[in-house]
Amino acid sequence: MAATEITRWLDNLLTEIEGVRIERRNDKRLRVDVAAEALPALLELLRGRASYVHLSAISCVDWIDDGEFELVYHLWSYESQSLISAHIRIPRDPGVYLSVFDLYQPAAFFERDIHEMYGIFFEGSPDMEKFILTEWDGPPPMRKEFDSEAWVNDTFDWQEYRPDWLREIEARGGGIEIPPEEQR
Amino acid sequence: MKELDVRIETPEQRPRSNPLARVFDELVRFCRSRSMFMLHYCTGCGAIELPPAMTSRFDMERLGIQPMVTPRQADILLITGYVSIKTLKRVILTYEQMSAPKYVIGICSCTVNGGMYWQSYATAKRLDQYLPVDLYIAGCMPRPEAVITGMRELMAKIRDGRADSWQDYYRRYDWYLGNQQHLFGDDWQTPTDVIGEAEHYRLTGPETLGEHTALLQQHQKPLEPLKLQL
Repeated sequence: MAATEITRWLDNLLTEIEGVRIERRNDKRLRVDVAAEALPALLELLRGRASYVHLSAISCVDWIDDGEFELVYHLWSYESQSLISAHIRIPRDPGVYLSVFDLYQPAAFFERDIHEMYGIFFEGSPDMEKFILTEWDGPPPMRKEFDSEAWVNDTFDWQEYRPDWLREIEARGGGIEIPPEEQR
Repeated sequence: MKELDVRIETPEQRPRSNPLARVFDELVRFCRSRSMFMLHYCTGCGAIELPPAMTSRFDMERLGIQPMVTPRQADILLITGYVSIKTLKRVILTYEQMSAPKYVIGICSCTVNGGMYWQSYATAKRLDQYLPVDLYIAGCMPRPEAVITGMRELMAKIRDGRADSWQDYYRRYDWYLGNQQHLFGDDWQTPTDVIGEAEHYRLTGPETLGEHTALLQQHQKPLEPLKLQL
C-alpha cells in the first residue's frame, strides 16, 4: 500500500467513527481529537492496523480555566512517513488517566515525567516514582497554579547588584558596562 | 594524617620561632599561586568558554593553570554556570572532598544571582550561600579573556594571602549547613566530617557549631565502607 493510500484510507476510516474529529494540516500531519475513554482503542487501531508504531512523545497542556488537562500523543509511522497527534482532555481533578504502556513501552518514561511535572496519575504505568526532580517535594511545578516566581522569592535570597567590591572594581576602571536598571 | 600536609598560617596556636617563617610563607604562597589545578565542574553553558581558555589561543597553562581530573588533586573548583538544586548537592560533595587550600570560582551570571534562570524553581540562586566563593567572574558567558583576568585576580589574592574563604567554610559551617538544609531537607548529610576537619585544621570558630550542626548530628548516620563487589 502506498503512503498516500494509507493516509486516504485512514482519513476515510476516522471520519466514519463517531466522536472523532480529525483535522488534516497536510500530508504529514493529522490532528485527531478523541474522547478520553476512546483513546486506547484508537491507539490500538493506529498501531496495529495503520503502522503508527512509534510513540515519539506524550505532551501535556494545563487548561486551568477549563479545569482540564490536555494530553497529546504524538505517533509516527515509518511506512507513511506521517505524524498523528491524538488529543484528549481529562478533568484536572482528580487527574487520573490510563497508561498506554501495554501498547507503547516508551510511554512509561513520558507518563512518569508528566506525573512528576503535572501530577497526573497514570493507572497501570510501571513506575510512577520521582524521575528527574529527585530533590523536589513541592507541588508539581508545571501546573499553572504553581507560581514559580513566588516560590523562588520565598526560598532564595538575592544579592545586591551594586556590592561594595564592584565599586572597588569600578574605581579601577572596570565594572558593568550598562547598569541593570538601565537595561530594563 | 601528617601535620605537614596541613601546614597553614595559624599564628595564635603555633608561635613562629623561625625568623624566616614569613619569607617561607610568601614563597609557599607564590608557588601555590603558580601551580593551580582546576576541577571544572561544568554545570552550565559557561563551560564552553573554557576549552579556548585552556588551549593554544589563550593558553591558561602559561599561568600554571591546568585541568585536573579528580577533586582530591584539584585546587580550584570552577562552577561554570547555573547550579540546579540537584547539581548543587553533587557540587558540595565534590567541594568537601577537595583538600585544602581550595578555591571556588563562580563563572557566569547564574552563579551570582540566578542569571536568566532567576525565577526558576529548580536552580539555586546564590552560590556563595552554599559554598565559600573566592571569586565571581560575571558575564553571560564571560569570554576567555575575562576568565583569565579572573584567574590572575585569584593568583594575586593567593599571593597576598587574601584567598582564604575555604577557612570560612570551617569557621561558619553552621551558616552554610543551614542554607544547605534549607534546600535539601533536614536529613542532609555529606560523607565528609566537616566539623572534624575544622578541628583538625584548628579552624573552628564561634559559628562552626550551631543549631544546624546540632540538627545534623541528630540525623547523622555513621558512614560505612562500601562493600567491595566483583
